[in-house]
Amino acid sequence: MNDEEKLTHGLKALKAEMETLAAPAEVEVKLLRAFRTRHVVTPIVPKRSNSRFWLTAALAAMLLIAISVVAYRVNRGVDDRRNVAKEEQPKISPKVDNKPVSHEQLAGIEAPEPLPQAPKPKHIRHANVRRPENMQLANHVNTEIATDFIPLSYMSAANLQDGGQIVRVELPRSALAKFGLPVNMDRYNEKVKADVLFGVDGLAHAIRFVQ
Amino acid sequence: MISKSDLSDGDLLRSMLAGDEEALALLYRRRQAAVYRFALQMSGSKPIAEDVTQEVFLFLMRDGHVFDPARGSLSAFLFGVARNHVLRRLRVEQLLAPLGDDPDEDLPSLHATSDFCPLEDLTRTETIESVRKAVLSLPPKYREVVVLCELQDVSYVETAEILGCAIGTVRSRLHRARALLLEKLRPAAEVEETNATTVKSARCFA
Repeated sequence: MNDEEKLTHGLKALKAEMETLAAPAEVEVKLLRAFRTRHVVTPIVPKRSNSRFWLTAALAAMLLIAISVVAYRVNRGVDDRRNVAKEEQPKISPKVDNKPVSHEQLAGIEAPEPLPQAPKPKHIRHANVRRPENMQLANHVNTEIATDFIPLSYMSAANLQDGGQIVRVELPRSALAKFGLPVNMDRYNEKVKADVLFGVDGLAHAIRFVQ
Repeated sequence: MISKSDLSDGDLLRSMLAGDEEALALLYRRRQAAVYRFALQMSGSKPIAEDVTQEVFLFLMRDGHVFDPARGSLSAFLFGVARNHVLRRLRVEQLLAPLGDDPDEDLPSLHATSDFCPLEDLTRTETIESVRKAVLSLPPKYREVVVLCELQDVSYVETAEILGCAIGTVRSRLHRARALLLEKLRPAAEVEETNATTVKSARCFA
């Protein structure tokens, strides 16, 4: 037997000798204990049924829809009544006969019967008057948020009686600060929209800022 | 119906990571002996082997998800983890070892029992002891190759995966390791004879 064979034989013998060796049982016990500590057994809680949640959601949705429908109908009814009122509006300018009346004619009339009073025209709000569809005001877009008109220093009420004109302009954001409004410094370089109210005299009387 | 003991290592690992204690127990019983023996053969110390075995499976419990079946078997993965732990422990032990410490103190008794011939048994035990000591005296990079390829019957491919090197490297290291073992296991008488011859020659030439 040469050296190589002897070595192989020796290694095989060592291998066979150690074949039965294994870690002691306490290692397994420790590991299982550690495993239980890591994976704390949590009792399985029965899941709450989602049906209650969905029922509530469905009821809420139905309620919302019902409110919307009612609101829509009420609105529509008001519009209809306004339209009817508009159609029924009497002509309040009866023709006047300018012919001279003779005394005979006047004598024949004893006591003039009280004329049936013309029905009082229903008050129609100006708001109901439709504007041309293509007409757009500065604040026409519903998504815009605007401040109240801030009077400029030289404004006087008398000057606005004859009407005025609103002009949409863009101003530097610093203009907000001049009117005591907060300025978002992150958007300091951006411009801000504003509506300027010009009077018939051509002077700016008020301003409001639009977002 | 397939029982849990028929499941593959990968399936058991998945179950274990999902919190199945039985899967851990099965996996441990299947793989612990190899890991323990590897650690023992590498370190020559029972306590280190026990600690390493425990550490390997704790690692598996904690970070088992890092195991990628595409890169090798779970067995190879466990050997790799064990190897890292053993080498770390050996470095620490080397630093902390007190002077005069007998490295063989912790070694398990390898005295096999034989019913037939006490002399033959003694010879066999002596051979095993000398081989074991020779293996333990190898540098770690040669020792691990001998342990894996010769004592654990791990293939060259898997050994290369475990050690993170090429198969050629495994072959060459094993060749070198065997040569070193042969040197260490050369009979003492032969060594003495060689030394004596050398001395004689020296005297002649002196």
